[in-house]
Amino acid sequence: MDFFLNLSISGLLNGGLYALVALSIVLVYKATEVVSLAQGQLLAFGALFFWAAYMGFGLPAWLSLLIAIALGGVLGFAVERLCMRPLIGQPLFSSFLMTFALFMFLDGIFQLVLSGQAKGYTSFLPTGTMEMAQVKISVGDLVSFAICLVVFGAMILIFRYTKVGLGMRATAESHELAQSVGIRVRRIFSLVWIISAALCVVAGVTLARVMDIHYPLPWIATKGLVVALVGGLDSIPGALLGGLILGLVENVAAGYIDPLVGGGVKEVAGYVLLLLILLIKPYGISGQVRIERI
Amino acid sequence: MQPCGTFYETYGQDTAVIRTRLQWIILCVSLAALLTTPLYGGYYMVSLINKIAITIVAVLGLQLVMGYCGQISFGQVAFMAVGAYTSAILTLDLGCPFWVALPLSGLTAGVIGIIGGAPSLRIKGFYLALATIAVHFIITWLVMHLQITGTTNGLHPPYPSIGDFVFDTDEKMFYIIVPVMLLMTYFAKNITRSRVGRAFVAIRDNDLAAKVMGVDLFYYKLLAFFIACFYAGIAGSLSAHYYTAVNVEQFPLTEAVYFVGMLIVGGLGSITGVFFGVIFIRLLDEMVIFAARPLADLFPLLGLAPAASLSVSAFGLIIMLFLIFMPRGLAHRWETFKASYRLYPFAY
Repeated sequence: MDFFLNLSISGLLNGGLYALVALSIVLVYKATEVVSLAQGQLLAFGALFFWAAYMGFGLPAWLSLLIAIALGGVLGFAVERLCMRPLIGQPLFSSFLMTFALFMFLDGIFQLVLSGQAKGYTSFLPTGTMEMAQVKISVGDLVSFAICLVVFGAMILIFRYTKVGLGMRATAESHELAQSVGIRVRRIFSLVWIISAALCVVAGVTLARVMDIHYPLPWIATKGLVVALVGGLDSIPGALLGGLILGLVENVAAGYIDPLVGGGVKEVAGYVLLLLILLIKPYGISGQVRIERI
Repeated sequence: MQPCGTFYETYGQDTAVIRTRLQWIILCVSLAALLTTPLYGGYYMVSLINKIAITIVAVLGLQLVMGYCGQISFGQVAFMAVGAYTSAILTLDLGCPFWVALPLSGLTAGVIGIIGGAPSLRIKGFYLALATIAVHFIITWLVMHLQITGTTNGLHPPYPSIGDFVFDTDEKMFYIIVPVMLLMTYFAKNITRSRVGRAFVAIRDNDLAAKVMGVDLFYYKLLAFFIACFYAGIAGSLSAHYYTAVNVEQFPLTEAVYFVGMLIVGGLGSITGVFFGVIFIRLLDEMVIFAARPLADLFPLLGLAPAASLSVSAFGLIIMLFLIFMPRGLAHRWETFKASYRLYPFAY
């Protein structure tokens, strides 16, 4: 039982980070109806910016984070302006492939910058573990999970109570209708990409704390996509729910099945889960079911 | 479009792929030129053509399922792996000759492809794309953890042979790979012209409308996946016996992304487009490798490492440019060029 609790707690804490990546994908999808894989690179570049400021220039952690978020926002803006905007009006499939192409393009640059070396940084969060009812919890993980929850809460508040959030929700509902009541849809698109990139930077910085800045880092985006699909592509609570479920399932499955088959379960457990969920609920756990007309 | 004064009087003439005597001559001459490449081309050229031909077989399958049937699939490379491993296991463990293993590996990949394509009945678009990525990861994980596939060590299938004659060089393999590629192209072209091909296009354009018109979605979607994975299996088997090594690292997800990129560059929904796309991207890769050396001399700090990352970046950039400026691909350009030269000097 202790083993199970340990696994599930650390899985849940991990899931918070997946949820953050998924949130950035969901935000973009809600406003622009584009599923983006490029988020993984925004995340990796965010971590790189942070690394450059924190380790390279020796700035304090909070300042480096702000710089990284600002640079990430600029990158997100550039992505929207240069790559996504020319494709407005073309099939959504093209935009999806565009994010793939963008992923590859940035991946090359990312590898060039790394040139074969993993970059890590000393943790800026408190380290050590604390024990609660025989369950060991790493304090750093707990703090990063708390950061995720705060960011999630902030996003929900922005969406619900600010004018910009109202504009985003209206845009998500229908582009034409939003435009006709005077919302600047294009500005909303830019804004959504900037916010989403900022979220990615936060996720990237907290992720790189545990796994170093290395080739596999951008591929976390595929996990983010899995989470977004499991939770439902157009649902913000779904992203959190999906993230927690994925983290839990991954860790528990890995803990119990790994010794039997010799490792690697953690990578596939999420995909098996995704296939099962998609077969039972094609639009995710809390996604809106769409009825198609000819 | 035909110039005025050209008439087709029978149904056969109207549906023919090769219509005029000149086209027959061009076809025969270019086939002869292709098949005699080993006589005048060097080793480098022959091995490049082999690589390109194997990729063309796999991408032809992807074109059928994605370009014609509209089902996005990132699983093609995983099914290539299925074909490669099937072929290797059949020849190594069961002592099957290559000639039997080749179609069998295609069939195995096709049958597994039906299972992999099953989600397409419930979901589509991005959801399906992600489901096929999931299938890719599950298949590669299985390959890495099953005993029969030699886990991470991979397998070493033998060269194909007839009696005592062993196809053990690139030049000899050329005469297996290229005819198979031509045969598969012939099949693919004819599938698209048949009832099945028309059903695929109907499903791509609007699957609900197709269903209302009486196209059996269940049958045709799974058939599309079966055919695509059959092609992937054949390509996998060819590559297994060409390199005489099968390893899970030969089948990364990025390769599947490359395949989709080749379709974009070539043009979705066109068999000629496959050739344009594959050759364009593969040549681009080769050029980047050539360019890497002078670049390394210019920036000694970076060393030779940039070659791989540069080719990835160049690929991404090319796809982005194509999506923005030429979304219908090279095949469409080729068609407009042909039309204009046929009608010259008139506009239409």
